[in-house]
Amino acid sequence: NIVSTVNLNCKLDLKKIALHARNAEYNPKRFAAVIMRIREPRTTALIFSSGKMVCTGAKSEDDSRLAARKYARIVQKLGFPAKFLEFKIQNMVGSCDVKFPIRLEGLVLTHSQFSSYEPELFPGLIYRMVKPRIVLLIFVSGKVVLTGAKVRGQIYEAFDNIYPILKSFKKQ
Amino acid sequence: MASRARLSEVCCPQHPEAHLIEDYRAGDQICSECGLVVGDRVIDVGSEWRTFSNEKANSDPSRVGGPENPLLNGSDLSTIIGPGTGSASFDGFGGTKYQNRRSMSSSDRALINAFREISNMADKINLPKTIVDRANVLFKQVHDGKNLKGRSNDAIASASLYIACRQEGVPRTFKEICAVSKISKKEIGRCFKLILKALETQVDLITTGDFMSRFCSNLGLPTSAQKAATHIARKAVDLDIVPGRSPISVAAAAIYMASQASDDKRTQKEIGDIAGVADVTIRQSYKLMYPHAKELFPEDFKFSTPIELLPQL
Repeated sequence: NIVSTVNLNCKLDLKKIALHARNAEYNPKRFAAVIMRIREPRTTALIFSSGKMVCTGAKSEDDSRLAARKYARIVQKLGFPAKFLEFKIQNMVGSCDVKFPIRLEGLVLTHSQFSSYEPELFPGLIYRMVKPRIVLLIFVSGKVVLTGAKVRGQIYEAFDNIYPILKSFKKQ
Repeated sequence: MASRARLSEVCCPQHPEAHLIEDYRAGDQICSECGLVVGDRVIDVGSEWRTFSNEKANSDPSRVGGPENPLLNGSDLSTIIGPGTGSASFDGFGGTKYQNRRSMSSSDRALINAFREISNMADKINLPKTIVDRANVLFKQVHDGKNLKGRSNDAIASASLYIACRQEGVPRTFKEICAVSKISKKEIGRCFKLILKALETQVDLITTGDFMSRFCSNLGLPTSAQKAATHIARKAVDLDIVPGRSPISVAAAAIYMASQASDDKRTQKEIGDIAGVADVTIRQSYKLMYPHAKELFPEDFKFSTPIELLPQL
């Protein structure tokens, strides 16, 4: 999952967009942006009246850029002079499975300055890695969710760092 | 006759090296060698009045200030006008003549409020003074650090109470703290994590045994059932039959199993009510534990309902 932002550089009339576009929803009382969805790279975009847009749900960086361009095209077709400035990926989320159950209690004992495990609040252990600044959610089943990365390499690096640690806490 | 020696100390003229015994009650300094009274009219620091020990004095006259801890309140040299004694302190209408309207210690007003809140909350769940004191200390540390200044003081107070219980080895579930506080569990949890980060402390993980005595006595279960439930829960966690389940749910299911096997049966709803877990949660954990019931019970347990007849929800 990739979350990115882009600046269309023109003030938008959200009412008009919501009326003319096909897959758009707009409740000004609830949230101040139009929520638009496209099917092609299955993504959702939040379009604000200032011209800034947030695009979420893409599966790869190129897909995110492509989807953002498609949204910009839709806005352009509606008559606004949309541009495509400052496309930036803000967050990347990845998930994986190490295929063995993990002893979370052991992990929180040894890595207590990075881990936070509170079974009453959340069933997974929250590991805040320092070196690539990534947050990992580690579950008993062996599934791991990594988030907070700006580039793909950070996710891979974080996983390479955590894998040996998890192996040492394998349950058997 | 005190003769000034080369030092500014008084000393006995015959025995300049002798140690002087100080008798403050009589205001004397007496030479230890010859008994000569060397200093006199030294200021008497004894008490000005006599207090008899059998007198039931609710105000101890030798104390001139309140006994409250200045450690938690900043340098407490401020004074307040006390309530009037005697008839002269009332004005014409019967109201007190001097109103103590001045706001004392405005910077610590929030502290005092929070301490009162912590004390109220602790009172509702019967926590001992040690936990309340620890919670107060934690709150003061957080308050001084100022990085959680934006959070509601009640939330910080609730979270510090939670941490204090944890640190003393008698954790209370978040839901129990929620019950005596008006802050949501989410907010208390958030403040809890922030406080741990701010104070750079850690807490131990909760275990099932921490809650057994409390839940079982609230349900009125005999100690045999409680011991059995403790054993069941510990074995269940050791054998890892219930991976990923919150220890509270496992404890609740263990209590259910133990109570169903003994004379005092309790329904899942009752246990869920006491423990703060939903009865479907107990059902889920129970379903995981039921197949291993034989290994879980302690060896010397007297079954009034044998394992085969345990309910299978």
